[in-house]
Amino acid sequence: MSPVEQHTTTASSDRTLVSRSRREPVNRSEVLLEVRDLDVTFARRGGRATHAVDGVSFSVRPGEVVGIVGESGSGKSVTSLAVMGLLPRRGVQVRGEVLYRGRNLLTMPAGELADLRGSELAMVFQDPMSSLNPVVPVGTQVTEVLLRHSDISRSAARDEAEDLLRRCGIPDPGRRLKEYPHQLSGGMRQRALIAIALACRPALLICDEPTTALDVTIQAQVLELLKELVADLGTAMVMITHDLGVVAGLCDSVNVMYAGRVVESAPRRELFEHPRHRYTEGLLGSIPRLDAPRGDPLQPIPGTPRDVIAWSAGCAFAPRCRHAADDCVVPDLGLEPLGRAGHLVRCVHPAPESSPEHRAPRDHRTTELSGPSGARALSVSDSASTTAGEERHG
Amino acid sequence: MAEPLLQVRGLQVHFPIKRGLVVDRTIGHVRAVDGVDLQVGRGQTYGLVGESGCGKSTLGRAILRLEEPTGGTVLFDGQDVGALRAEPLRLIRRRMQMVFQDPLSSLDPRQSVESSLTEPLGVHGLADADRAEFGADSAKSHLAKASAMLDVVGLPRGSLAKYPHEFSGGQRQRIGIARAMILNPDLVIADEPVSALDVSVQAQVINLLEHLQDLLGLTYLVIAHDLAVVRHISDVIGVMYLGTLVEEADSDDLYERPLHPYTIALMSAIPIPDPVVEDRRERILLRGDLPSPANPPSGCRFHTRCPFRQATRCDDEVPALREVAGSPGRRVACHYAEEIRDGRIHVADPQLLVEPPTASAAGRS
Repeated sequence: MSPVEQHTTTASSDRTLVSRSRREPVNRSEVLLEVRDLDVTFARRGGRATHAVDGVSFSVRPGEVVGIVGESGSGKSVTSLAVMGLLPRRGVQVRGEVLYRGRNLLTMPAGELADLRGSELAMVFQDPMSSLNPVVPVGTQVTEVLLRHSDISRSAARDEAEDLLRRCGIPDPGRRLKEYPHQLSGGMRQRALIAIALACRPALLICDEPTTALDVTIQAQVLELLKELVADLGTAMVMITHDLGVVAGLCDSVNVMYAGRVVESAPRRELFEHPRHRYTEGLLGSIPRLDAPRGDPLQPIPGTPRDVIAWSAGCAFAPRCRHAADDCVVPDLGLEPLGRAGHLVRCVHPAPESSPEHRAPRDHRTTELSGPSGARALSVSDSASTTAGEERHG
Repeated sequence: MAEPLLQVRGLQVHFPIKRGLVVDRTIGHVRAVDGVDLQVGRGQTYGLVGESGCGKSTLGRAILRLEEPTGGTVLFDGQDVGALRAEPLRLIRRRMQMVFQDPLSSLDPRQSVESSLTEPLGVHGLADADRAEFGADSAKSHLAKASAMLDVVGLPRGSLAKYPHEFSGGQRQRIGIARAMILNPDLVIADEPVSALDVSVQAQVINLLEHLQDLLGLTYLVIAHDLAVVRHISDVIGVMYLGTLVEEADSDDLYERPLHPYTIALMSAIPIPDPVVEDRRERILLRGDLPSPANPPSGCRFHTRCPFRQATRCDDEVPALREVAGSPGRRVACHYAEEIRDGRIHVADPQLLVEPPTASAAGRS
């Protein structure tokens, strides 16, 4: 449900998502967040340290969506937690630089970071049930952010919270504010979480698998909401997901992670049209596509994501790679530019440029259901307006 | 079409909602499955898709009588499963097995793989076809069969002595599959067989299921929420919404031309990993969430969220799952399926229609 349609029925119709932005106009060429050589190591008592994130670099501009894709254990979530400074202090070593508007978040005093977090930087977590407090009403959790970061009264914060929930597509927000998380459905909880993240109109939004726990139709609603946000407010977004379909529809550039390192980085279209790293190629070949002809067997990647060797010894993907050779066992392979501009690959034997074997071009049904302007034999009534009122015969 | 192995007629599973401290009063029913008809032919794969809460898992369990149906009949190879008493039911269960979603919670953590695999053999004995190869029922022949089964599902032989926690998610699912297939069943119901797995491992398990079907001549009922996965392995797909089937079609046809409004919206909501397709695609958003199955909407159950809703019939007349003239092999539960197919009805609310960026830039007011 789009938030834009909702507020036309309310008094706040003059305040759209865009005009509510009190921040100075966004400069879309400025680099908002720059992550340089981020390195996260978890020390284990009595065991070898785990190198979860290993020299990850990327940058995000306002109005841009950067995707980080990978399977479980690839370090994508740890990257986001490190950027937000949410990793525990004990036993974790974070090195490198995370520059937000030129200031290093990693070395920033805790108080200053807390001021930024929630107001300028915000995060949407994967599981809304475990990231909302189950014993606090949803409304309090939304107003908390507003009261902490802006100088407004409680009643103003409450109105603002109601407005936010409505914009995020939650019907009857006044009632929902008083409810507890367990009274909301999964999709609504996720939207409440997004409302909390958006409360102070952050300049940077990090979404960690925001739709993984949701059904596809609800996922479509949430993704549409996020797209609007980026387009209208110029919010910069980091999208962390394992779903290549989500990436294909939303992200401007994509980083593919494997075993803690970025193995391929490219603009969206380039990545899907010419995957060069064997892992990316394998991933694309192993997902069943809704629009591909049936009957061709899938091409799975052998082994599991746990079959890795250390990057310091050789390519971590080599044990699962069909094209691995002896020369893949090179310590610390570099992320090298390859082919077109902006395409970086960490591979000794990259896939040839035009071997899109996974691609099955097929005319997609895009316009079979013609738009609202098309000729109508029967009228279609707006389901929302008629549920309340009487039936109208067209 | 082959003679159907499984026939389900008007199957209902209603769970009572109870309230009260001393006396449990039944104050209503959750209609998890509310009148489902379907047929699965021998050697066929039938895919059931739907969102969480639509009753697809309950339907699968009710077919095996793991959940007692409250109405309707299930005919398995001509036998009425619902009428069977305990012993005949036990005997027929060797021919119908289940693969569960979460391999870690469906395998006993304290049971070794050997014990997990030989237990069904201990209960039912070796299948007749296996007797020739492995001999009469004995601990030795059961072990030999278990070991052979590991080869079939692609696990190392040394796995027999190991425990579930020693395996990765994909390997655990292989154990679950081996356990279901070891009796040479006719029908296997796979409930979300790959949704707990990593993307790269999903494909391995899907291929394994297909390979086993060819090898053992199995009939599958695959239940999943991922339409792309279901479409890949199924011959026929049934789409469920709120306890009922809303559309059933050959899996290629379903994608080519979904007719029920819910299927149309569901298809358009599934992201396709190809930016070119994603950018050109038109999306139909659905409003709100799934209504409560305890109190389903009147008339067509989908009418509260339907983007094609009409002023008449939708709210008060329950649509039957019917064949649509001009679309063979297709059953749709919508009063206006023909009109939608022929493009005589459109989505009225422009808010629900997300057009490709180029088109919407021009059309936006």
